[in-house]
Formats: sequence, C-alpha cells, structure tokens
Amino acid sequence: MNRLEKASVGAVALMLLAGAAIFFYAPTDFLQGPVQRIFYLHVSSAIAAYGCFAVVLLGGAIFLRTENYAADRWARAGALVGVVFTTVTLVMGMLWAKKVWGAFWVWDARLTSTLVLWIIYAGYLLVRRLSEPGRQAARLAAVVGIFGFVDVPVVHFSVTWWVTHHPGPVIINDALPAQMLATFLFTMFCTIVLAAVMITIRYRIETLMDMKQLIAGPVHVVITREPGGVAGPVQ
Amino acid sequence: MNPFRAAIAVARKDLVSEWRTREMVPALAQFVVLALLIGNFGFQIDSRNAPSIAPGILWLALVFAGLIAFGRTFAAEREQSSLEAMLMTPASPVAIFAGKAIAASVLLILCEVVLLPALSLFFGTPFSGDLVIAVLLATIGMASLGCLFAAIVARVRARELLLPLLTLPLWIPFIVAGGQAVQSAMGLPGSYDQAIGLLIDFDILFVVLTSLAARFVLDE
Repeated sequence: MNRLEKASVGAVALMLLAGAAIFFYAPTDFLQGPVQRIFYLHVSSAIAAYGCFAVVLLGGAIFLRTENYAADRWARAGALVGVVFTTVTLVMGMLWAKKVWGAFWVWDARLTSTLVLWIIYAGYLLVRRLSEPGRQAARLAAVVGIFGFVDVPVVHFSVTWWVTHHPGPVIINDALPAQMLATFLFTMFCTIVLAAVMITIRYRIETLMDMKQLIAGPVHVVITREPGGVAGPVQ
Repeated sequence: MNPFRAAIAVARKDLVSEWRTREMVPALAQFVVLALLIGNFGFQIDSRNAPSIAPGILWLALVFAGLIAFGRTFAAEREQSSLEAMLMTPASPVAIFAGKAIAASVLLILCEVVLLPALSLFFGTPFSGDLVIAVLLATIGMASLGCLFAAIVARVRARELLLPLLTLPLWIPFIVAGGQAVQSAMGLPGSYDQAIGLLIDFDILFVVLTSLAARFVLDE
C-alpha cells in the first residue's frame, strides 16, 4: 500500500468510528428524536466544505501572484471536494428540514447562501472543463474562485433581513450537552481528515493529468534559437 | 496615459459602433417587452396583485436582458480579434475594462428606459423616482460583475452556457437588495432606505473587486 492508500483507509476507519459515536454514543434528542443525529455530519461537512473553498481561494490567490501551477492544482482539487461536501450538507439539511420544519426548503439566509456556494463552485468546475487547460484557464478560474468566496457572506448578509429559520451556532452558546458536543467535535475532526485526504488524492490525480497533458496533449512547441536549445512543450 | 480618458474613449468607441449598427438596443427593448408579455400570461395579473408580481417580472426581464447585453460586450472584439490590439495600446487593462463596462451599462440603461415605463403602462404599478434610483444603483454593480465574467467566458468554449451560470449567483445580492427596494417603491412593506444603503455598499464592494480582478482577466 502506498501512502495515499494508507491515508484513505485511515480516513474511512475514522468516519466509521464517527458513525458509531453518532448512533451509539450520542444521546437521542429529547424534542426532535433520532433525526437530530443528522446534525453531526451536516454541520461537519459544511465546515469541511468551507475549508475546501478556502483552499480554492488560497490556491487561486497564490497562482495569480506566483504562477505556480501546484497552487492551481490544489485549487482544482479543493473545488471538486468542496462541491461534494456542499452537496452532502444540502441533501442532509433538506432531509432534516422536511422532518423538523415540514418542508424540504425554505429561503432562509443560510440555505440560500449555501445553495449559491454550491452553484458558484459547480460553475468553477465547469469553467475548468470548458476552457483549454493552461495558464489562461487557471487565471480565469482563480478569479471565479475568489469572487465565489467573497459572494457567499454577501448573499448571507443580504438575506438576513428576512426571518431566519435556521438555528444559530449552537456550539458557541453552550446549548449542547457534553456527550453531543464530544460526538460533534469528533465527527468534525474525522470529516476534516476525510476532506484533507480526498483533496490530497485529487491533487495527485490533477498532477498526473497535467503531466499527461504535457506529454500527449495538444503540444505547443517553442523553438529556441540558441545552439542546443531544447524544443519543449509549454503550457 | 490618463486612465479615465482611456476608459471614456473605449466606452465611446463601443457606443459609436452600437449607434452605427443599432443592433443591441432595439433587440433588448423588444426582449423586455416580450418578457412583460410572458409575465402577463404566466400570472393572472389584475390591479390588486400587480404590485406584488411586477417587481419579480421586472428583475427577471432585467437580469436576462443584462446577460444578453454583457454577453455581447466582448463578442465583437473576439470576432475581429481587436481586444489584443487594444491591449497593446498604452491604456491599462483596467481602463479598457472600465470602458467596456460603462458602454454595456449605458446599453442596459437604455433598455431600462423602455422597461420601466412599459411595466407601469401594462401593469399599472406606480412609476417613481425611487424605482428609477433602485434600478440604476443595481445596474452599476451588475454591469461591473457582468462585464468581468463576460471577459472571462470570452476565452472559453460554450460561453453562452457559462455566462449565466457564473454571473447569476454573483448578482443575487443585487437582486435581493434591489428587489426589496423596488417592492417598497411600489408600496409593499419593507425599508426602502435600508435596501438602497445596501445597494450602494454592494456597488462599492464589487466595483472595487472587479477593477482589481480585471488586470488578471484581460492581461495576456
């Protein structure tokens, strides 16, 4: 087993442990019943998604400053994994909302901004797919990633005028019993590890794809005039 | 080279070329009137419910007219490869971008000149200065974002597909605040001043951000 395979096995084992904690260790919520157990993974994957998009933001900003393609590959990996975790957050949230609020969807600030987050980074992935790989695509995508990150708090702020259905942060104001808090923190830790492993694997895939692009892709050859100058592919 | 004069020159060039062909503005005007027509038959509009439905139709028509207008801003430059020539002049990319954004927003404003009176005419909703101010303030921010993303997708395949996908989510803050402002200008409950304040904040934020980003998008 190579290092990435070991890391994947570790991450999956941690997630199974988190599942065990959610179903067997955490107490059942008095008001909502078992459906409240969605909370642990729902909030954890939202936090993991924000982390992924922070990677996109950082990768994009570093690429714009330094033209370092490794930064761009981290951004690409972060966007893909972030969209996966946002999808998990949205789907789990909708199931929970149907049970507790009686509707799959309400146009509340947090739901709207999470949906916008999903759309923007799905758009980011589309920009990557539809543009010729290379410097231009990386620069354009970096701008999209940065605007996406700025837009989400703005959307959130602009919708908060309306009555908000979504509960506020329960961790900060001490509303969680100790066992629930422990389960939540453990699940959050496991989810972040899983996201980090997924990003690393995706980074590896992106690196291999870039190398393949260099070897077999539409190669633009630069011919140098110096004696012994090497004609090589450029991105 | 004075960046303001460069921006004005680029905007003037775009507007002169629009004036000579007269393609966009008539098409956009016809488009928004058609949108009102669809709105009328899609909803059952009468004098009682018009103020609650008209703002929605206004924003739908405006947003899609905006997408058409901004999608075309870089089309001519791309077809004739004249953007490269413009970038070779001493004018900074930010000035070129600002000029294109100004020209596109003038076109969109011309389309609003048709849309807003037509809305009042067909649906009987009040036409007021408050309404005009709200729509104009939203246009500024929408134009800066729309032009930036038009410049981005100009380099990409399937650009007609991608422009709405990228631009609409970023316009949502303007539609939320602008929608609120238009609703209260039409007599629905809600704070007009708060919505206008928010629109101005968003305008400043996104005009500054897009000017910073324009360098990376236009620079070759």
